[in-house]
Amino acid sequence: MAQKLLHIFRNTPLGRETLLQSIYFCQRMGVLPTVYIPEFTKFLMYFENEVVQVDLDPSYLNDPDTAVTHAEQLLQKAKIKPELFTPKNFTASTLPDIPTSFEFMCCPRSISDLSSKIGLGYIGPRVRRIIQAARFPVLITSPVYKPWKNIAVFFGGSANAINALRLGIRIAKVTGMHLDIYTQVGKNTPSEYRAIVQEKGLEKPLESILGQWTFFEKGRFEDNLYEVPHDALVVLGAYGHGIIKDIMFGSMMEKIQSTISNNLLIAGPKYTMIG
Amino acid sequence: MARLFKKLKYPGSWSLFRSDDRLLLILFAIAVGICSGLAALVLNRSLETMLEWLHHYRTYWWAIFLPAAGAALSSLFLEKIVNEGAGHGVPEVIYAVSRYGGLLRLRSSFSRLISSCLTIGSGGSAGPEAPVVMSGAAIGSNIAQAFSLNDRQRVALVGCGAAGAIAAIFNAPISGMVFAIEVILGEWSTMNIIPIAIAAVAGTEVSRLLKGNQIAFAHRDFNIHFNDILACVGLAICCALASILLTRALRSIHHVSKGVALPKWIRAAIGGSMVGAIGYFLPYALGEGYHAIRTAIDGEFSGGLVLVTVIALVKILTTSLTLGSGGSGGIFAPCLVIGAFVGLSFHRFLAAVWSSALWVNEGCFALLGMAGLISGILQAPLTGIFLIIEITGGYGVILPLIVVSAISTTLCHYLEPASFYLKDLVEQGQLLRPGTDARVLTDLSIQELLETDCICVHPNMRLADFIGIVKSSHRNYFPVEDQENRQFVGMIHLDDIRPYLFDPAMHHAVLTGQLMNTHVKTVSLHDDLSEVLQKMDEGRIFSMPVVSDNRFLGMISKATLLDQYRKELMVQTGRF
Repeated sequence: MAQKLLHIFRNTPLGRETLLQSIYFCQRMGVLPTVYIPEFTKFLMYFENEVVQVDLDPSYLNDPDTAVTHAEQLLQKAKIKPELFTPKNFTASTLPDIPTSFEFMCCPRSISDLSSKIGLGYIGPRVRRIIQAARFPVLITSPVYKPWKNIAVFFGGSANAINALRLGIRIAKVTGMHLDIYTQVGKNTPSEYRAIVQEKGLEKPLESILGQWTFFEKGRFEDNLYEVPHDALVVLGAYGHGIIKDIMFGSMMEKIQSTISNNLLIAGPKYTMIG
Repeated sequence: MARLFKKLKYPGSWSLFRSDDRLLLILFAIAVGICSGLAALVLNRSLETMLEWLHHYRTYWWAIFLPAAGAALSSLFLEKIVNEGAGHGVPEVIYAVSRYGGLLRLRSSFSRLISSCLTIGSGGSAGPEAPVVMSGAAIGSNIAQAFSLNDRQRVALVGCGAAGAIAAIFNAPISGMVFAIEVILGEWSTMNIIPIAIAAVAGTEVSRLLKGNQIAFAHRDFNIHFNDILACVGLAICCALASILLTRALRSIHHVSKGVALPKWIRAAIGGSMVGAIGYFLPYALGEGYHAIRTAIDGEFSGGLVLVTVIALVKILTTSLTLGSGGSGGIFAPCLVIGAFVGLSFHRFLAAVWSSALWVNEGCFALLGMAGLISGILQAPLTGIFLIIEITGGYGVILPLIVVSAISTTLCHYLEPASFYLKDLVEQGQLLRPGTDARVLTDLSIQELLETDCICVHPNMRLADFIGIVKSSHRNYFPVEDQENRQFVGMIHLDDIRPYLFDPAMHHAVLTGQLMNTHVKTVSLHDDLSEVLQKMDEGRIFSMPVVSDNRFLGMISKATLLDQYRKELMVQTGRF
């Protein structure tokens, strides 16, 4: 079944880079991009148990006359039939509802703030809430279009890390790329991490796609991140369970997003594997 | 510790509530009722303070700009500070209940309180009731979200919030309960009634504790005769006409205002300054107007027939200007004022025409007019009846009250099939009450109805091979896909091969590509089921292929749809 990726198009050079990244992801994954060109500065996303209002940075409404052409040009160049999304439902006349039934969503690091603010170490509050509430993983793109050649999964043994690993395996299988796992050794020993993977029945699926499993046993996690290839799609889980973890992004996640500029595919706590 | 937090976050999973969640809902209803009651009282106190503070300045000429300033600030607050879509909020609550299991934003729990305080406190003609309903409903929704309650429980708590707010602001628990069920939820089920009743009690108790047990519009006893009850028919007609006039004026001014190419806050300011100018000459047209209602019910309003009629009409105009141009507030209080003056006008008209007849005190007609207006504009007769009984503390007027409310609602429904709150939602096809066809179809998706056990064939397949596939399949439809790019090219139905089936010579001569129907009506994964059904009915089709990006995904059939429809209907109506 054709899976879909939701992309909110920003008619700016940064928006072009983000759409190119979405297109690349869709091509590699066999996913269809659905592009929404906003007409209003805000929209609502009704998730299963939460409603998220996204207040867009005004640059999303730049030059509406050329927005459709620009988006269509990029899609057509990639030989993808343009599918532009038009909202059917409105909570208020200037407040459209965007469906949440997509399989992926692409976001820059922030969609509510000026692009000048976007940089390493910053993921906007709306993007965080989407990640927290969504059943789909969110692709946070690098500032400049950057094709990725392999998959890097950060695995710390938690339930979310297992989800991220499952997602990484799926992407590796669909794209045919190899998958590398990175673990900062903490409470567990490497063999215990392997045992967790085995217990979850992921050892066999990993057999054919696993490149290497790197255990960082020394040094600071941030420093060790230098080992992650610059052209890898980094797959990781965010947020945990419990009151505090529900609010915080997760310390590992914060360190990763503050340190590396790769494309990130983040599976939140509600992420559910489809297919 | 983490386990304890998790347990707290999911109280629905506690063994105490697992088999029956009524007790859980009652506990949450108390919390929601208290919170929404407090929200209502905060707005009430803020309004009193603001009105008192600005009262000293009303005599100055520049006071005509106060409603403009209030409306502009209110609009700026909603647009720039809290980023809300403007409006008085009740349709948004109904929309959320209809479509998204009562999911409301946290910011809605306070935004309308502040914005309506600015609008009404500065003199805008609007009421505080709809903003507190929005606030209470959002409080209920967000408490449900925080504790991961399911859709049905969340909807019940949204109703609890609305009931608690109305109950607190009017000191009227039954009205709060009836309003929540009749207007907000549109569904009378015991599962909802119990928590909503509890929330209404909690809201009322909070109000009585902090504000005292006051009856808003206490009145003397009325001696009602049979001729008064007969006259109620005429009063109901007047109330219905006033309701329709208010509904249409509000919508017209809103549409005119929307078409003006000016920022929202300037439009609100223009509307506000017009209200201010009118109010300078006719102060009854300003604010919530409760003082005017008290005078009317006491039968102490001194103006003549023309003046009371003018006040009713001008109040319609100022309310439309305030709310239609972008001010924040509700229509409850203005409806009560307009209704009271319509009642007074009608009484004075009767007294002038049939001066020899013995009529009840005009205060009674003012009171009946209020019920007629509320029932007419909301098309909710029970809310009108109970609200007037509770806020006036009199059961003695029940018979004429029922007559006026019933006739006014019926006439309004005849002239405007949807109430003021529901009109936009009905026009957009967004009113999806539980158990209705539209709601059931909305809650089903093509994805869950997809039949994927179809065998795809390709256009170059010989009929002989195709017959082999038919033998192993139990379906009548066979999608045809291009062998190389797997693009959907057409469909073959068993009827299409029947002419060749018993002619063995054709089995090796005919290809499926020659038999297939290439002009097949298809549906996409994201189509509305109501549209799909319409296509099926128009084409007398029982099954259609679902195609996305030229790829065949599966079939959707009326049989599966009916099966799922029945299951969904049983879930929504609670009948298993």
